[in-house]
Amino acid sequence: MNLMISLSKYLPYIFEGSLWSLGLVLGGLGIGFVIGVMFSLIQVYGSSPLRRLISLYVWFFRGTPLIVQLFLFHWSIFPALGIKSTPLITSITVLGLRSGAYQSQIFRGAIGSIEEKQMLAAKAIGMNDWDAISSIVLPQALRIALPQISNEYSIILKDSAICFILGVMELMTRAKYTAIATGIALIPYLMAGLIYIGLTYIGTKLFDLLYLKMRIPGSVEG
Amino acid sequence: MSGETVLRVKDLYKRYGDRIVLKGVSFEIRKAEVKAIMGPSGTGKTTLLKCIDMLVKPDSGRIWLEDLELTDPRIDIGEARKKIGFVFQEFNLFHHLTAIKNVMIGLTKVKKLPKDEARTIAERALLKVHIERELWDKYPAQLSGGQKQRVAIARALAMEPMIMLYDEPTSALDPQLTGEVLEVIKELAEDGMTSLIVTHEVGFASEIADEIMIMMDGKIIERGDPRKVIHNPRREETRRFFSKILKIGDESR
Ligand SMILES: Nc1ncnc2c1ncn2[C@@H]1O[C@H](COP(=O)(O)OP(=O)(O)OP(=O)(O)O)[C@@H](O)[C@H]1O
Ligand SMILES: [Mg+2]
Repeated sequence: MNLMISLSKYLPYIFEGSLWSLGLVLGGLGIGFVIGVMFSLIQVYGSSPLRRLISLYVWFFRGTPLIVQLFLFHWSIFPALGIKSTPLITSITVLGLRSGAYQSQIFRGAIGSIEEKQMLAAKAIGMNDWDAISSIVLPQALRIALPQISNEYSIILKDSAICFILGVMELMTRAKYTAIATGIALIPYLMAGLIYIGLTYIGTKLFDLLYLKMRIPGSVEG
Repeated sequence: MSGETVLRVKDLYKRYGDRIVLKGVSFEIRKAEVKAIMGPSGTGKTTLLKCIDMLVKPDSGRIWLEDLELTDPRIDIGEARKKIGFVFQEFNLFHHLTAIKNVMIGLTKVKKLPKDEARTIAERALLKVHIERELWDKYPAQLSGGQKQRVAIARALAMEPMIMLYDEPTSALDPQLTGEVLEVIKELAEDGMTSLIVTHEVGFASEIADEIMIMMDGKIIERGDPRKVIHNPRREETRRFFSKILKIGDESR
């Protein structure tokens, strides 16, 4: 009983951790979105040296474990660049860069699936390349990409637990500290697991709603 | 038919790989004139229209829109394209925009008009092609083929082009829907819209066109008054072409 009481004191502490986790996820997803859109555009429309550079970027961030990237940035790259980073900043940055690599491939596929005739029709009314891309191709590509972005959200949410390794005060870190402080492992880790499931569920539901809202009326796909 | 020349095409050549698709095409269209291009599949009709709108770069030859040389590499091609209306065989409406937004987007993005002004012009263009108010906020996927093509015509029309290019505007439509589209094209032509129409509709072409040009294997092999070209052509190939498509037309009836 005593144990339960001491555990309950940690409840707010653990819940606050889920806010940190959410911050990591939304930050990473947001940075990844910006990078993903920019890089996918370059990969589809850009010059070949730039395209190669981005392939290299994608290759690195998709080909190495997150934990390696976190350590590399926190202990080597940022210090070498003279950037004083905190665990939180490194974590959000790395999650963002990593997600950017994945999202660029999602958007590249989505842009590639837009009929070329859409671009042709845009040019025929006199649009320049940028207007055609930004107001015709991208809005359609974003809709197509949305289910995969939702999937990316649930992946990055679980990836964010790895950031405990830098000591960011997110959910996993706090579950661990609670387990150490109370001597009970089962309950804090079970709670952390349940909160991850809850966040996954709520997040993907929100994405589903967004998808329905953005769906083009009358269209058959999806 | 008098009036100044709107479009002049001179000695146009285009090749794809080692296949020469256009082999020296020349013609002119004067203001308010309507010309039809007919010919078998794969003879370069679409390529010709795309070259005129510079959606495809010709290898040689020159094109003028009034005094503006479109084949001059120094001109702003977007500027030129907005003066040419292009209607595609498959409509190519922007899927994510409603009918009226499809028409407005060229006005706001290309002509940089304020939204309310663009809307007024778009409404007028839609009414002109007989798309009534209740369809304005529908998305392309909610429209019939005939409605889609008329919205596409309105989209081109709203830019106030000097000439309209139609590439088989009714080929993708169910037969019962071609009438409403042809009717609109005819009304516009009668209002004085200079038009170049690629079509397989013989009756329509003979009714509307001031001249029919027969295209075969990248060349215009015969041109002239519609009735004469259709019923009493000079060239044997032309005669064969018409007897073939007229026969197909009979069978489908
Ligand atoms: N982008 C391209 N690359 C290579 N070949 C092409 C391309 N576009 C067209 N062609 C070829 O050029 C030839 C002429 O094509 P075009 O579309 O101009 O013919 P068309 O007269 O419009 O035929 P249709 O009546 O079937 O529409 C065809 O043999 C076609 O395969
Ligand atoms: Mg064609």
